[in-house]
Parts: sequence; C-alpha cells; structure tokens
Amino acid sequence: MNKSSEEKIKNVMSIVFDIPINQINDGTSAKTTISWDSLRHMNLIIGLEEEFEIEFNDDDIGNLLSFSSINSYINKLI
Amino acid sequence: MKMINLKYSEILKLNKNLEKKDKTSSYNISLLSNITIHQSKEVIEYSIRKEGINANITLGEYDNIIQDSKKQSNNSAVIIFWELAHLFEGFHYKVELLSEIEVVALEKKLKSEIIFVLENLKSCQLVVFNKFSSLLFTSLNIHSSRLNLLKNKLNEYLESLESNNIKLANIDDVISYIGYEKSFDLRYFYSAKAPYSIDFFKAYATYIKPLLMSINGKSKKILIFDCDNTLWKGILGEDGFDGIEMSSETENGKIFQEVQSIASYLSKQGILIGLCSKNNLDDVNNVLFNNEFLVLKDSQIAIKKINWSDKASNLLEISKELNITLQDFVFIDDSEFECNLIKELLPEVTVLQVPKKLINYPKMLRDNLGLFYKFSNTYEDSLKTQMYHHQKQRSANQVNFSSIDDYLRSLDLKLKIYKNNSKQISRIAQMSQKTNQFNLTTKRYAAGEINKMMLNKKIIIYTFSVEDKYGDSGVTGLSIIKKDKDIAEIDSFLLSCRVIGRNLEYAFLDYFIQDLKKQNVKTLNAKFIKSNKNIQVNNFYDECTFKVIFENENTKNYSLMVNNYSKDQINYIKVTTNE
Repeated sequence: MNKSSEEKIKNVMSIVFDIPINQINDGTSAKTTISWDSLRHMNLIIGLEEEFEIEFNDDDIGNLLSFSSINSYINKLI
Repeated sequence: MKMINLKYSEILKLNKNLEKKDKTSSYNISLLSNITIHQSKEVIEYSIRKEGINANITLGEYDNIIQDSKKQSNNSAVIIFWELAHLFEGFHYKVELLSEIEVVALEKKLKSEIIFVLENLKSCQLVVFNKFSSLLFTSLNIHSSRLNLLKNKLNEYLESLESNNIKLANIDDVISYIGYEKSFDLRYFYSAKAPYSIDFFKAYATYIKPLLMSINGKSKKILIFDCDNTLWKGILGEDGFDGIEMSSETENGKIFQEVQSIASYLSKQGILIGLCSKNNLDDVNNVLFNNEFLVLKDSQIAIKKINWSDKASNLLEISKELNITLQDFVFIDDSEFECNLIKELLPEVTVLQVPKKLINYPKMLRDNLGLFYKFSNTYEDSLKTQMYHHQKQRSANQVNFSSIDDYLRSLDLKLKIYKNNSKQISRIAQMSQKTNQFNLTTKRYAAGEINKMMLNKKIIIYTFSVEDKYGDSGVTGLSIIKKDKDIAEIDSFLLSCRVIGRNLEYAFLDYFIQDLKKQNVKTLNAKFIKSNKNIQVNNFYDECTFKVIFENENTKNYSLMVNNYSKDQINYIKVTTNE
C-alpha cells in the first residue's frame, strides 16, 4: 500500500469534511461522518482529482463512500 | 500564487485560515442561483479574503432566486448565477421544441422576473449579474439554436439595465479564456445540476474580483515602471539613445509600444504612472523628451525616481511624497532581483515581473488591469497626474534601509572568481565594450587585445560570475590589473548593470587586493575617469579607502597602501575561486 497516497487522501478528506486527520481511518465512511453529505462528496471528488491528477469514472463516484474504498480505487488508478 | 494554480483543497484550507471570528465587520455577499455552485463560495471568499476583505458568503436556497432576492437587505453584495440551460428541468433541449409564440411568452416572463429581482436588490451596494450563456451547449454547427437566440435577447435586455450598482459579468469571457473542456464538468450537470468545473470558479473569482476590490476601496492607484526592458527594449546606459527599441517598426519595439499604450490608457483613467529606474536622470529625460516613438509622455508621468539608490527606498519616498499607501502600489520590473527585493522588503506592494518570453508581456499587463478597476471615472481622475505634479512636496528625509542587507543575505549570493581565464576572452571584450554605468575607466578592448593581455605576465585579468538562489547571472564582473614589481594599477573595473546593487563589487575588490598582496604588491593605484554614464561610481574608490592623489574635472587618481586596506565586512557573499 502506498503510504503517501493514503496520507494525501486523508489530508483532502480532513479539509473537505472539516475533521482532524487522525480521526480518519479504514472505518471512516459517509455513514460515520456527519459532514459527508452529497455536496461535500462532490467537493471530495474534485479535491482528490486535483490532488492525484486523475479523473474518476462517473459511474464509480456514487459508490466511493468510504475511506477504504476510495483508497483502493485511487491506488488502482495511479 | 494565482488562483488558477491553487488546488481546491488548498483554497479550502487557506480560506479557513483567513476566516475571522468577528462577523460584525464582515463583508457579506450572497450567492443566488438556480444551479449547484456551492464550490464557488470558498473560492470567491478566498480571492478577496487574501486581500484583507473579511468576506462572508452565504448561498441562497437552491433555485430560489426570485424569492431570495427579497431577503438581501443585510448583504453588501449579491452575485447571481442564473443559468439559462436550467430555467426548468431539461430546458436546454426542451426550448428547441417550443413554438414561436411560446418562446416569445417565455422571453416576456423572464424579463419581468429579471426586473422584479433587480428591483428587490435596488438598495444593494453591488449586484453582479452573470450574463446568460449558452456555451455549455455550443457545437461546431452553423445552425443557431433557439437557446442561443433567447440568450442574445435576454443579454441585450440585461445590458439596458446595467447601472451604478448593477454590473454584468460576461461569463463567456471566462469560459473562452480557460477553454470549454476546462470550464464544464458534465458528470455533475446531469446528476447534480452542477455544470461548472472548479477551474471555472477559480477563473470566475479572478474575473469578478476587481468589482469587489473596487467597492471596498482596494483598487490600486499607482503603477511604477522600471525603464530598461520594461518600458522599452534594451538598456539605455549600454545600448544608448538610438539603441533602445519602442517603435512599432521593430518586432520588440511593437511589444513596448503596446505596453506604453496600456500605461498611457491607465493614466487617462486617472491611475498614476511613475518611473523607478537605476539610470542617469539626464539619459532618461532625454528619451522622455526626444524619442519620437514614445507613447507614454513625460506629462503623463506623475513621479520619477531615476537614481542609483535601492528601489525599496525609492518606492517609500514616492509613497511619502504622493501620500499614497504602499497597498495602492503596483511595481513592474524585468529584473528578478528587483522584484524580489520589493516583495521581501515592501510586501504590501503588488509586484509584476516582465515575463521571460517578451511576447507574453502585454497580455500579462492586460490580465492585471483589473487591479486598477474603478466603478466610475471622473473628470478629476483624468487630471490626477497633473494634480500630483502640482502638489508634490519633496521630503528631505532620506529613507534608510537596514534590511537591505537582510534581503541580500537571504539571496545566498555566491561569487566565483576567475583569473586569466582564456575561455572568457570574448565575454571580457564584450563587457569592456558594452558596460557604461558601473565602469570606472570605460576603457574599451577588442578580443585580440584581451588575448594579448592574457599572455602578458604583467597583467592579471580577474573576472567573476555570480549565482544566487534564483539562478546564475554568468560572467558579469571584470578587473584588469597591470603590475610592475610591487606596484599595481587597476586599469579596468566594471560590473554589468544586471548585477548592480548586491555589493558584489566590494567582495570582488576584497578578493583581488588580498590576491595581489600575496604577490607582494605594496601599492595599488586606481583611476576614476568620468564619462557621460558612470556618475554612480565617482566615489567608489573613496568609499573603499583609496586616497585621492590627483584630481581634475574628469579624472581622479587614487592610491592605496595594500597593507592598510581593511576588508569590507560583507559576510553574506560566499567567494570561491576557480584557479
């Protein structure tokens, strides 16, 4: 697993959801995070796309609702 | 850093850091829209928070422009994103199916809604109304869509309503500037009614920023130009009156002609234009009064600081003399050194650097015209330069800068000194022929002569190249020493003008005096020979503790007992040799 990409994802999540970075772990998801609503989800995707210079497939965006799914998705793309 | 180069997450973070707890003094802006534009909130906030405006943006309810327009009494500014393509669900394709009569009725209804909204916002200090756009659905198709026709009619109507507080933002300008692909993100148009990309919002924030700055009294008031390679092509002190270019007859000249025209335009808008240049005043005045291609006239220049002092002190003096705060200053120069000096010492000043690729220079200036944007121009504005000419009061106080040394220290200056380096013969000859300003004797030598000197045991040629944290300036200093037993003479001593102002001359002199001492030189003689261009160095040897032994109108002869020479205390220039 790429450590630095994990850190980058947590950093963007922490900024977008306005939560401390050390509270983000494999169990973090839209269900456990109050501020993870549909608008912020859009912000998250934009933030991650810029961070990793990638483009998410529009069919996948709606399913990437946890840290672990995003992390494995990004690691497949980069 | 430019907005467009910042990542969205960086903007979110920076914006949060700038947020002030105190909401009583905040500048409240409301965003009304019929589409999803929530990302623009932080982007626009940040664009003006970083300029010291305590902005707070609230988003209106989704697709509720008309009702929301009634609730804006607490807001200083309202921005309206009224997306034609989403007047109702699927509008952009449904409109093509409407009958002629239905379209006319729709147009009438929309116009009355616009009037209703603007009427509600009458007491608002600023309303930014985006013009309607159909570019999202543009195609390579000559057939004009109904959407497009409707857009044109509505925009025409909007233009007729523009007033003191209602400003139209032509978002087509923004879209064409950054390009279609970058402006839109169709993934979110269909799923979330969010057609615009984050890049669009970054560019949009930059586009409307002048309006928000102007209404908050933050428009810039004065633009200060360097001269050489900033107002004209070339170096006046080296290339001479006839060697500089600003005529539309030459490729480079055209660029500077355009730049001067922009400056002249700004002057007519009441923006003050100033000059701050390391040059001889008489030389510059000669250009200002006698160059037939000059567009920016001397009468349009409110203030001139043409001297050899550092530019930070000069800008401070201008600020005092014209009573304009540094926040209102824009400074433009081609030299990275000068630009960084101002950024470090006077961070309030907005600094623009002439792009390395000259063809981008006029565009860079145009891109920054928003800095000077004003809601309205008055007759007094156009007379401002004249007013300043009359009011100017010269303050006798010398502004001293203890921190110049700190700035130089931060540059990490590295001086590399060479002795009799035959690879540099053509560069040495070139420097001796071209350098006018920092040149103590102005003796000109051809490459052949330099070559001969290299072979002569009684002549030592010292040169240096200089590097700092921004890059390498190459071989830019020269001293030619003629030696006879224990007596030596500095035949030539010069520095290329692009490295003046860094105290390199002292470190260079320190070095070669020590080196001559090692060769048993006891007495070092030197000369200052006055030319039209070298007045800035007429006291150089005096400063370096040489004794004057003869003096007339044009020449000063000096002598130095090498053993008595004490090194200058410059500890921030690292000197190495290449022997």
